[in-house]
Amino acid sequence: MIDLAFLNLMAESAFFWAAFLFMVASAFTGIAALRLSLKGEAVTSLMAISSFTTIAGVSLFLISLPELFNVGFARDTAIALLVIGSIGTIIFARLFRTGD
Amino acid sequence: MWEAVFVLTYAAVVMGYTAWNIKKGSFVIDPSQLILFSILGAIVIIAILTMASGDFFGAAEPILKLGAAALLFAGIPPMLAAGVGYIRFGEEYGPNIFYARNHITGVIDTVASLVMIFVGILIYRLDLAAVGFFFFLLIPFTGNALANAYYYSYQRRLGK
Repeated sequence: MIDLAFLNLMAESAFFWAAFLFMVASAFTGIAALRLSLKGEAVTSLMAISSFTTIAGVSLFLISLPELFNVGFARDTAIALLVIGSIGTIIFARLFRTGD
Repeated sequence: MWEAVFVLTYAAVVMGYTAWNIKKGSFVIDPSQLILFSILGAIVIIAILTMASGDFFGAAEPILKLGAAALLFAGIPPMLAAGVGYIRFGEEYGPNIFYARNHITGVIDTVASLVMIFVGILIYRLDLAAVGFFFFLLIPFTGNALANAYYYSYQRRLGK
């Protein structure tokens, strides 16, 4: 019989740091997307904000995991951002296309 | 101490391998073989640990969590590359740079949704996987709608 506690500890630590570094990398990309949304024209801004909502949604979903920070209400915000953000982008792109 | 060394080594190996794929522009190892051997390796390690400890779930959970950590580490280089691409490709490349930026947006969306799907499966959080899958289905529609919007609005501006 071997003790799995050490393996568990290493897996928890690896998962925590992986998710944390993924959120940091996402934050960097999110800042780049915000910069693009402030510089570009209307459709470019829409695209940049769409990717920013994606990044924010994934980061919030990772925050809500019990293995990380266990912020339960972030999960609902993340679902709203990911689903409604994509659908809103499609609707506004349709408006920009027709020019109404 | 040992866990910090392990995490650093694990992160360096996985991120280095992903960055090598991105630098090369194609897969270093065929993904079908890599995924197959990873699954087989995980099954063998879980079987050995189960026989040694007598606890299947206790042996499977850390191995699957290490797989989820590898997926998250593998998502970091494309995310950073996408951020650099957003900053690097400015207006000096002409009006068609929008399509390159649209491609970068697709990379971000795909990385985010694949990470959500597979991490959700590996750590038994099926709500994460379900939302990731729903989002994965919406990505092509979003990219197509944005490219269409830019194309037609640009044509209108040219016509004026």
